[in-house]
Amino acid sequence: MSAELKTVGLPGIGSGGAVARGDANRLSGQADIRRRQESDWPAYRDMVQRVAVLERTPVFFALDQGTQRLLATRLRRVAVAAGDLVLCQGEPGDTIFFVEEGRCRLVVERPSSSVTVAKLAPGDFFGERACVLKRPQPASVYADTDCSLLALDRASLHAVLGREQAVLEQLGKVADERSSVFAEMTEQASWGMFLHEATVVGVYSPKGGTGGTCMSLNLVGSLARRFPGQVLHLDLDFPYSHAALLAGLVPTSSLARAGAAPIDSFEEALLSAVLYHRGGPMILAGALRPEEADEVTPDLVTRAIGVLRKTFKYIVVDLGVAINDSTLALLDLTQHVVLVAAPELTAVKSAADAVSIMLELGTPDSRLTVVLNNRSPKSSVTRSAVEQILGRPVDVEVGYDGVRPELAAVNGDILSLTNPKSEITRGAEALAELLEAIHGRNDTAWEPARLPTAAPSEKDTVS
Amino acid sequence: MTGLTAGNAIGQARLAIREAALRRRLHAAAAGASPTLEIDLDDHGLDVAALVRAVVAGLPPGGPEVERLATAFEQGQISDQVIGGLAAADTVLQIRSAKVVGALRLERAIPWLAPLLTGQNRAVCDAAARALGRIGGARSAEALIGVIQRSGPSRILVTELARAAPDQFLESALKHPPRGPARWAAAAAAGLRRRRPAVTPLIALLASGSRRERAISCKALGWIGATSAIPAITAALMDREPRVRAAAEKALKAVSHPGRRAAGHPRGMH
Repeated sequence: MSAELKTVGLPGIGSGGAVARGDANRLSGQADIRRRQESDWPAYRDMVQRVAVLERTPVFFALDQGTQRLLATRLRRVAVAAGDLVLCQGEPGDTIFFVEEGRCRLVVERPSSSVTVAKLAPGDFFGERACVLKRPQPASVYADTDCSLLALDRASLHAVLGREQAVLEQLGKVADERSSVFAEMTEQASWGMFLHEATVVGVYSPKGGTGGTCMSLNLVGSLARRFPGQVLHLDLDFPYSHAALLAGLVPTSSLARAGAAPIDSFEEALLSAVLYHRGGPMILAGALRPEEADEVTPDLVTRAIGVLRKTFKYIVVDLGVAINDSTLALLDLTQHVVLVAAPELTAVKSAADAVSIMLELGTPDSRLTVVLNNRSPKSSVTRSAVEQILGRPVDVEVGYDGVRPELAAVNGDILSLTNPKSEITRGAEALAELLEAIHGRNDTAWEPARLPTAAPSEKDTVS
Repeated sequence: MTGLTAGNAIGQARLAIREAALRRRLHAAAAGASPTLEIDLDDHGLDVAALVRAVVAGLPPGGPEVERLATAFEQGQISDQVIGGLAAADTVLQIRSAKVVGALRLERAIPWLAPLLTGQNRAVCDAAARALGRIGGARSAEALIGVIQRSGPSRILVTELARAAPDQFLESALKHPPRGPARWAAAAAAGLRRRRPAVTPLIALLASGSRRERAISCKALGWIGATSAIPAITAALMDREPRVRAAAEKALKAVSHPGRRAAGHPRGMH
């Protein structure tokens, strides 16, 4: 049913006469104008349905029946087709919509992506933030199916509930709570936890030779054992990207070269540059030659991650030792940072500085993992000293592995795929388990939470 | 100073004193210091309606002060007098009353404003339309679109429809309209409001509407600046009607160059 355009009941306009029902006072002359009952009340069955919708809705269910009936007379039925935009994020608004039939979804739209923060079913309402608090719409609302909505505009809301300040305050509270929930969910989504996009892990070693590339490759191997074909190693260790070489692969294309492809074929060019390792992981070289490193710009990194995260489950990025614009752009996109340090004084000092930088860049402490890689049989700095210098515990310690890493590099093996007894493998497995514990998710379809309500009751389902 | 000039000066001084006193009473009511209000709309020489509007304009829009002032009007039964003024024979009183109910957003005055939209006096019609625009809501919008459908649109009616129409009102009017001026008035209003949810029904109207509806849909889509409408507007460049083609050309320029469009919503809306 559509919004009614007929102005039935308004004096002098439209078809039909003014018919007052209920207990309304009638007009008795110009000198005795009192509040007049609106004459275009809906049909009985329609009224029953409208009241039923209000009774299923948080906040409104607690109103007395008389108020619910008054509100029901002011509701306007709106039919929306599947796919239609109902409310646009950022626009002002003045209407609360109750879902009578069908399903809608709330989407927070960002410049680079959109996040579905809630799904709405019969019994839910939306639009209250703009209507009650007079703030811009926090999210767009799209109809997932053909919907029948009941709309209550601000004028009607205040006409009926103008003196029920408690109800209006409660609606405002619900609006504020939902805004907080949306912001939190959107923030989480920016870390790629939703929509089954890849978890991006940045591996950074502040000092060369500490084993950052080795750890990143073996981490990829451990993850690929769990998720064959779903883990990618992206080598951004410039200017000499050796990851493919260490894995025994010969790249013929790279991220830098894919960036030169036309926009329409960028995705294809990028994915065709990915190398397949026999053990399961995939490897993408950042550049084939040192001079190509300059072509890997922050924008290219962002575009590439945007494409790759839809294809893989994990993307492990070897960030090398430099912190440049591309590194910073990538850190914005990572969900986890692994810092590889060696128990040497200079390396630990550099690692301490790197930890400070990461935290300053906004990396949550829980998403920063420190790996202590023992590259010699006897360390000059003990683990406790390392922790003291860093100001935080070491999460994973990799024992000395002798010549295994060098031999594996020569043979093009990834130890975590070929040698379970290797210390590197144990370290990589521990790191993979840690990442899975934090970022792992089951494969069932994820459903956004139902909207939170200020007055949960047995009728409400809050998830 | 002659006696005539002195009399004028004294009269003006008295008027200023009464005006200041009324202003103080209005501010006291808005601040909650005075729960009721007693004023005479027909105070000779004093434009009470303009004063009420001026006071309301100085208050935070939609804030509790305006609500308190409206409540004071209700409890002092001034609202009955004001609404009664809408049915007065004196057009000056009608206009003043319309201005006051609009300033205070007295929703229950809508049934008395609606008939004024089709009156003989143009100034009264415009004042009623503006009052409905300020009150807002579905009922105001229905009254405006009803008179547009019956009597044809005017610039003021369409503007106030854009101001009054709540969310999804114009979109519904575009999707399920009777044939007539109401549909293209709704299209124009949707464009004035820069309503993004209206883009889809406007595109549909552009494809299937009358000549005027197609032309106005083009304009509205240009005002909204919806890039998703570019294919539809581009197709309208080949329309058989020159006005539609001209509107499509302008709309394409507006959509392609967002800086040329007027930004934001019309003043006073929300």
